[in-house]
Amino acid sequence: MTMKKTDFSGIMQSKVTWAVIAEALILLVCFLIRPDFFSISYQPSTGMLYGSLIDIVNRSAEITIISMGMTLVIALGGTDLSVGALVAVAGAIALKFLRWDVLTYTTPGDYTVYPYILVLGVPLIVCALMGLFNGFLVAKGGIQPIIATLILMVCGRGIAQILTDGKQFTTGYSPFRIIGQGSFLCLPMPIIITVIVVIAVALFTRKTAFGAFVESVGVNPSASRLSGIKAGSVILIVFMITGLLSGIAGLIYSSRIMSNDSNNAGLNFEMDAILAVVIGGTNMAGGRFSLAGTVIGSLIIRTIVTFVYYFGIVAEATMAFKALIIAVVIVLQSEPVRRYFAKRSALRQARSGGAK
Amino acid sequence: MPGKNILEMKGITIQFPGVKALDGVDFSLCEGEIHSLLGENGAGKSTLIKCLTGVNRMDEGKIILDGREIHPTGPGNAIELGISAVFQEINLCPNLSVAENIFVGRQPMKHGQIDWNEINRRAEELMSRFHLDIDVTRPLSYYSTAIQQMTSIARAVDIQAKILILDEPTSSLDENEVQLLFTVMRQLKESGMGIIFITHFLDQIYAVSDRMTILRNGHLVGTYNINELGKVELVTKMVGKDMDVIFSLKRAEVKDGAEIVLKAEHIGDASKINDISLDLRKGELMGFAGLLGSGRTETAEMLFGATKTVRGDIFIDGEKIEIKQPFDAIKARLAFCPEDRKRDGIIGDLSIRENIMLAVQSRKGFMHPMTRQEQEELADKYISILGIVTPDCEKKAGELSGGNQQKVILARWMAANPKVLILDEPTRGIDIGAKAEIQRLMLEMCKDGVSVIFISSELDEIIRCSTRIIIMRDREKVAEVDGSTCTQQDILRIIAEGAA
Amino acid sequence: MAGVTKKQSLWGRLTNPKYIMVYATIAIFLVIYAFGAFLYGNKGFLTVRTFVNLFIDNAYFGISAVGMTMVLITGGIDLSVGAVASLTGMFIAYGTTVLHLHPLTCIFAALVMGVGLGLLMGWVIHYLNVPPFITTLTGMFFARGVCSLISRESIDIHHPMIDALAGWKIYLMKFADGKWVRIKPIAFINFNVILFLAMILIGAFILQRTRFGRNIYAIGGNEQSAALMGLPVGRTKVLVYGFNGLCSVLAGISYALYVKSGWNLSLQGGELEVITCAVIGGTLLTGGVGYMAGTLFGVLLKSIIPALITFNGNLLSWWGKIATGLLLLLFICIQRVITASAGKR
Repeated sequence: MTMKKTDFSGIMQSKVTWAVIAEALILLVCFLIRPDFFSISYQPSTGMLYGSLIDIVNRSAEITIISMGMTLVIALGGTDLSVGALVAVAGAIALKFLRWDVLTYTTPGDYTVYPYILVLGVPLIVCALMGLFNGFLVAKGGIQPIIATLILMVCGRGIAQILTDGKQFTTGYSPFRIIGQGSFLCLPMPIIITVIVVIAVALFTRKTAFGAFVESVGVNPSASRLSGIKAGSVILIVFMITGLLSGIAGLIYSSRIMSNDSNNAGLNFEMDAILAVVIGGTNMAGGRFSLAGTVIGSLIIRTIVTFVYYFGIVAEATMAFKALIIAVVIVLQSEPVRRYFAKRSALRQARSGGAK
Repeated sequence: MPGKNILEMKGITIQFPGVKALDGVDFSLCEGEIHSLLGENGAGKSTLIKCLTGVNRMDEGKIILDGREIHPTGPGNAIELGISAVFQEINLCPNLSVAENIFVGRQPMKHGQIDWNEINRRAEELMSRFHLDIDVTRPLSYYSTAIQQMTSIARAVDIQAKILILDEPTSSLDENEVQLLFTVMRQLKESGMGIIFITHFLDQIYAVSDRMTILRNGHLVGTYNINELGKVELVTKMVGKDMDVIFSLKRAEVKDGAEIVLKAEHIGDASKINDISLDLRKGELMGFAGLLGSGRTETAEMLFGATKTVRGDIFIDGEKIEIKQPFDAIKARLAFCPEDRKRDGIIGDLSIRENIMLAVQSRKGFMHPMTRQEQEELADKYISILGIVTPDCEKKAGELSGGNQQKVILARWMAANPKVLILDEPTRGIDIGAKAEIQRLMLEMCKDGVSVIFISSELDEIIRCSTRIIIMRDREKVAEVDGSTCTQQDILRIIAEGAA
Repeated sequence: MAGVTKKQSLWGRLTNPKYIMVYATIAIFLVIYAFGAFLYGNKGFLTVRTFVNLFIDNAYFGISAVGMTMVLITGGIDLSVGAVASLTGMFIAYGTTVLHLHPLTCIFAALVMGVGLGLLMGWVIHYLNVPPFITTLTGMFFARGVCSLISRESIDIHHPMIDALAGWKIYLMKFADGKWVRIKPIAFINFNVILFLAMILIGAFILQRTRFGRNIYAIGGNEQSAALMGLPVGRTKVLVYGFNGLCSVLAGISYALYVKSGWNLSLQGGELEVITCAVIGGTLLTGGVGYMAGTLFGVLLKSIIPALITFNGNLLSWWGKIATGLLLLLFICIQRVITASAGKR
């Protein structure tokens, strides 16, 4: 009996719980205002399911994918600011391979100049290598992650622009369209990719000891090293994963617009990803992380945006609105507030115990 | 003779989640008195001090300063009330200069600006009282721990408080510096200041204090005049049980012809170690004696790959191996409990289970994970073997007491099943009961065929347990003596004069 | 160590190892400046005008960098500065052009908004223990959102007072043939430059000569120790973010004078450029280290790169970003080498 109670107060103190509650509340408000918010319809012509919920998950794909890597980076006690720039780099490389020589192929059409495998493979490899570069600066150079990744954040978009001579290409290559706009099992392709990525990262961290190593290094790097953990390799792997995932997100993004946009692709993605991780309950100081929490955090961010669009609140207010809701969630999750609730529930328990 | 009472603490009770840290403790301090506060770790000394400086809120009790009841709300407020404190960990800012660390927050001002000349002049004056002739404008991080500790004492002294609290100020000081500190303390006492002195070194208590108050498990044992109580009685009162355990320990013995497990030949690097050679036999306990910085910790770190070996060779079971990082050492079945438990040992936010399984897991590599059940079995096994006090293995290791944390680290290495276990100051800062237990464990492991290297500042400990003792001085091995025949004096003489 | 001279001569003070990063910034600036002079000296790179233009074109970054340096020294970060400056511009533009308010009214409103938001963020950071990164990111979203709420279009600013202030300039003179004449090519400094330099001086005074300033360093050095030494940690942190809010508003005013318009998307990513300025000026993101002189040269160093690219005329402006990134890399490496060699002592 008492066991159960302590469990409950533990849950109330967990940040993930608050994130779930916040998401549920936002959805509830949506439902109250528009009861058809949850309705999902099937469109036989495209073979896809449609509905606000589907749309939320679909549109959150890029952030969710990136924030899987970001969760690990933050668990190590760092942040990766370069992910947004890597999204732009991935798009630029993919479009470059699809439309290498614009003079020969003047109109965008259903073709690719270079083999499709290169269109997909090279951006991912380059992004992974850029992630490795970040990791190298952090692990071998001993540079703070936020500064190390600031370098690629500052010059990443410049690199993307130079790769494409500052031009914006469009393409009509249909296999490329599938990544961002196709469907599988009636669901939009980005959702499928997201699910695969989330499961892969979860398996990699939790079914091996990698997650424990990440947490250990995040809490106490020196003690971890003396316990035999190769902290440097852990850091390298984590940053490489984050780079690779940014590349995947970049492919999805550019497939949605069938173009590259070095200025706006992935703009502020690093911010959204970090927010998603923190709302999801992972401490920015490093240590314990929760991938499930991060997924919910990412969904919260997207739900707010969808909410704003859906209810015709002026689109310009999105940012301000997002800020307000996030502020509420963060304040509720903050330590003093959680301690206050913990104390109150302890008091209530003590009181009801006394009544018996 | 002590003057009138300046501080009176009555019935102080502090409740932490789950435990009563202090239970109705009384304490008083007179003008011009040095009053030692004693007790094992977790007895409540620090909590009492934190209560007086306003860091911890008390649940019951009264603090009366100069006849007025006070309610300190924080360190800043306590300083205003005339209570200043020097804590065990150096609580200064490494980026500020020595002078500024003494004066920050109360800098002398001139024309609405900070008067830097005055600050530096007064800081120099203060430091020269401690016979320290240093450039006070350099950043604090530039100087040794001892000077940093002196700086924090200088800060507390300059505040001109009525009450000065010194919480383990001597742990990083050498003998001369301690004597200097005592001189200053006596000066301050003459000027009428009341000093509360906390230390683990019994001799120091008898050297300077007038009275002592003993705490045990949050309760007051009593307050005594210094000549009222002998050392043995004092320890008995602190521990609350007989010290027989510690004296019943048997030195680790090595059978003749036991094979050599670990052998180091002329290892060294650029700055920390000149030339060390040693051979460690199976089941042997080898003590490293020497002053701080003599090379004892540095040798251990080098053997374990925590720092790079530039010269020399290391052999395990007669086979030469290359140790570039701790991982290599762990593969060769070496284990190392570092000196700084908090920084290098315990991983505070992780559970006891994870802390214990870490070394085993890292040797396996992350691609070969242990199941949850295996981890729990391992953790539970060592929790019971070592008697770690915890409700279950999921408690955060950082929330345990110092002694229990040390046991968790020990468990981590015992679980890794090492051939050679290196223990650097495993008994520092933990209470006598836990100390004895850790020594007992160490010796038991030797009996089971593990070879142990034991580093400690406390010579009696080393002499009691070691088969052989290596004495280090100025980054070199100067002598190797037999543990059963040498005396504390022999070792001290060698440390002071070198092997002649 | 005992041999170190005790009486601090000016030379002794200047060679204190803590200033080494500032010297590195200045040295790199001089090298790049010399490089520019070598390549484009004949195109007018060496003129006073080019040098003064570095100040005129980047004054708003500099003003913001003053506050940012302080925030970084406490060990925090403020991502809201670009958005707050942009919002200030919107206040002035919308207020004067659409609402026909007096600019001073708008500026006052902006000050209340900027300082208020800064104080609020500081409070949340310290008392609710929310990481600065997240708090100020939310502040940035909020300010940017309000910007867009006010208007999505760029609004021009037309007001006699603003025009006068923006057009006000002091021509640099030289003494020749017995009278003062304007130097050729004509160079001048304007209100923004004066505001920038004044803020640098004020910032330096606060940091070096007031208890508040020293508390900032102490907090950055070790926050827990600062609290145990009895320093007012909470108050200092809240005020630092408030002061940074003030700097953001002043930067916004300066930017509005520079472009004479307000736009909801102006200065996007400005916060990271400001942070970059501070970092290449020798401020450590871990806190506790940073100087206004370093920040001044950090701003100049960052602004000389676009100037060089303009002088070249053939390079795409994207190379500016890459060059800034490389500069950052170079600087961080120098910092590492210096701290590593200092640690060996």
